[in-house]
Amino acid sequence: MSIDSAEPSELIDDRFAVQTSQLTRVFGRLIAVDGLDLNIKRGELFALLGPNGAGKTTTIKMLCCLLKPTRGTATVMGYDINKQAHKIKEIIGVSPQETIVSEHLNAREHLRLIGKVHGIDSAELKTRSELLLETMGLADRAKEQVRKYSGGMMRRLNIIMSLIHDPEVVFLDEPTLGLDPQARRAIWEYIVQFKRRKTILLTTHYLDEADFLSDRIGIMDEGKIIALGTSTELKTSMLGKHTMIIYAWNLTQKVITEMKNRYDEVIVHDGTIEITAKELDFKEVVDRLHTAGATVRSAYVKEPTLDDVFLQLTGKEIRE
Amino acid sequence: MRILELAGRNLKETYRDPLALGFLLGFPLVFMLLFGAIFSSDTAPSFPVGIIDYDGTQLSEAFINEILPGVEVLDIIEYDDSESARKDLKLGELSAYVEIPQGFGEEIALTWQGQKSDIVLDMTYDESDIQTSEQLISTITAVTRGYARIEIPVTVNTNPINVETDIDYADFMAPGIIVFGILILIPTSARIIVRDKEKGFLSRLLTTPARPLDFISGYFICLVAIAIAQIILFMVFARLLGMDIVGSVWLAFLVFFLTGLCSIGIGMIVGSLSKSENQAEPLCWLFSMPLAMLSGCWFSIEILPSYLRNIAYAFPYAHTIEAARGVITRGVGLEAIGTDFLFLVIWAAAAFIIGIILFGRTMRT
Repeated sequence: MSIDSAEPSELIDDRFAVQTSQLTRVFGRLIAVDGLDLNIKRGELFALLGPNGAGKTTTIKMLCCLLKPTRGTATVMGYDINKQAHKIKEIIGVSPQETIVSEHLNAREHLRLIGKVHGIDSAELKTRSELLLETMGLADRAKEQVRKYSGGMMRRLNIIMSLIHDPEVVFLDEPTLGLDPQARRAIWEYIVQFKRRKTILLTTHYLDEADFLSDRIGIMDEGKIIALGTSTELKTSMLGKHTMIIYAWNLTQKVITEMKNRYDEVIVHDGTIEITAKELDFKEVVDRLHTAGATVRSAYVKEPTLDDVFLQLTGKEIRE
Repeated sequence: MRILELAGRNLKETYRDPLALGFLLGFPLVFMLLFGAIFSSDTAPSFPVGIIDYDGTQLSEAFINEILPGVEVLDIIEYDDSESARKDLKLGELSAYVEIPQGFGEEIALTWQGQKSDIVLDMTYDESDIQTSEQLISTITAVTRGYARIEIPVTVNTNPINVETDIDYADFMAPGIIVFGILILIPTSARIIVRDKEKGFLSRLLTTPARPLDFISGYFICLVAIAIAQIILFMVFARLLGMDIVGSVWLAFLVFFLTGLCSIGIGMIVGSLSKSENQAEPLCWLFSMPLAMLSGCWFSIEILPSYLRNIAYAFPYAHTIEAARGVITRGVGLEAIGTDFLFLVIWAAAAFIIGIILFGRTMRT
């Protein structure tokens, strides 16, 4: 697995919807985005995963031409963010991190406003609005002022506002931030429907969200991409270790010592022994414990998570 | 099309918000209703005012015998000398007395001929009764100016029948209250802009192909529509409360409209400079409430010390009230309020240009 690199932006590759080249943004002494080189393929759902303050939103703001980069550049569908902002704004859709709606407008009026600003004619706009409202489950309450909506409904409206003009590239900045698990899950289902049809750059600090939705994930910390690949690639090739968790009786000092002599990492707590090693054979571990005198009650191989990857890479948890 | 959509959205955000609408229209209407009730003609008091005519010309006599008796709130009593008038003032039998100095008639005649003049009246009043003296100063000033400024040939100067003397409190107070309502456009304009900025709606729309000019025009059309609706509503309401418009209704409307543009411009400036509604709101009130007082929304600025009057005249609102009172109560035309009118045009243009520059800068940053 390796981080894709990009040559300076004059070398535009048609395969990519977004290309950044040494993209940097500095706020005073803080380097929010630090020399980002990233290529996102057309039709790909790419997730930028990282803790708060990692530089995800700043990256999106630069790609949406809301913020000028301090150094470097980027292209969106071949258009330069420093020179062709207006062109880019015509072909992108943005769902910002905050739920930004006009409280006294209803859902249809929101879609009409964004559609008209993009120059879509009324008949086409009406068809698209109805389709999107239906898809996102908002059709029944489309005439109500949005101040009466729940948080989840507002987030869904926030997302379809970014899709109404049929953009080529969609930026979803923390689309499920602050929602309960059920509402988050519902939004994931909606987003999945647009996979392959649009290039989507999604930022999130929810590991499961990145895991569930994305084709590829870029893990970002302190303004840099520190790992990049598919979820499976990241979890396997980055970690290169496996963990087994075993509930057992008679975990005597003799048993623990024997396990520690055999495996890289052994942690014991409350009748549970957690064994980590590059190579782990399930049957062999259970047999060894039995031979040493322990009685195994249950055992399972712990699936690595993206949090484990992040922990491995940075020494801290993503929620910090 | 883009501009109209943005303007439409801004309008909906305002008129569908009961709080914003109540603040914008209800607040000044309540003031107007209160003032209308307080100073309704049924209960309006009559003040005994002494007059001493040292001029003794036909014009001064016409002023005393034809004009002043027609003013409802004045009960005119003629005196031969100021000593006896002063005595009655001290005894409380007079609210004030006015001395018409020599040369008054000559100065009035010069005014009628379109020449430069200096009309002086000496008024003595009981300073402990601030409210009464203030009303009397305003009334005497308004009537004298009405008498002096009307353009009729000298030959008929002893018969100034076209002078509006039926000035009641509604006529006098209404322009001030309407201007107070227009002053509320400052916080309204600022709030509309700052709210969009603070809540990120402006940022969101900045990711679309809409250009800065579209946003500015969108806000401008919305705010101008609000101003027009507000002025029409206030004028109709004031009329229902008894305000008579002697002069041109259109000219009065135009004066108020220009003032509305000034308020919108100031609101845009405050909105562009503020980062949040919490910042903009006090800033607007800090600006508009003292200005409402200084400009004479609720009382005549004649009673203000000269330095405060100079401050008031640096802003558009005192000019509006003077010009509007001229049109509404005295029926003067554009030529008589030309200076005030020009001042309003310059102020409106300047406030707008600065507002647009600052707003444009806000969007770029």
